[in-house]
Amino acid sequence: MSASVGIVLVSHSAELAAGLRLLVEQIGSDTVPLATAGGTDDGRIGTSYDLVLNAIRSVDRGGGVVVLPDLGSSVLTARTVLEDHPHPDVLIVDAPFVEGAVAAVVTAASGADLKTVADAAKEARHVHKF
Amino acid sequence: MSTSSDPAIATAATAPTHETAVVLPANLHARPAGQLARAAADFTSAIQLEYADRTVNPTGVLAVMGLGATAGSTVTVRAEGDDAEQAVTALAQILAAAE
Repeated sequence: MSASVGIVLVSHSAELAAGLRLLVEQIGSDTVPLATAGGTDDGRIGTSYDLVLNAIRSVDRGGGVVVLPDLGSSVLTARTVLEDHPHPDVLIVDAPFVEGAVAAVVTAASGADLKTVADAAKEARHVHKF
Repeated sequence: MSTSSDPAIATAATAPTHETAVVLPANLHARPAGQLARAAADFTSAIQLEYADRTVNPTGVLAVMGLGATAGSTVTVRAEGDDAEQAVTALAQILAAAE
């Protein structure tokens, strides 16, 4: 099996990202490379260029990386990081944060490739909760 | 409409199919849904979960959760393909063990 796709959760809140991480590890897998980039460098609500960059680097096992931003400046910061450090195998995916993360981690845990994991996160938008 | 046999249909009819029904011991919530999705991805057969007239592909963890299947209700696992029996057995075990 090829290297697992890595997942990065980018949030304004370190607690939100950490909580989502615990959730996806329970539902999906704690073996998928996953990193959080939550809050600012000094722990406030916001986003951090360096935290996002380091998170991406820390989960890259050669299978590609899916970056999931929560909203707003998480998207902008992640985009800026990728503009400065372009890599064809690092994708920012437009997906609902919780559902997209769950779908991405479960799919990555089954050994899927980068496109399949990214598509699973994107499709999360269209799955009804009930 | 022609009444002659269609090779595509004939081929489909010969693929092994398997099916079993499981009465859920607990609500089909997030954790077992994740287990089902990961298990389903290990098989080549086309797998379906059926609950209350709705059918989903169990590899979709969110779709499985979205069924909202509750304790005491019946979920049918159906598979078609070379490993259909193994797939149905594996998924039925997860459903039957849900806590």
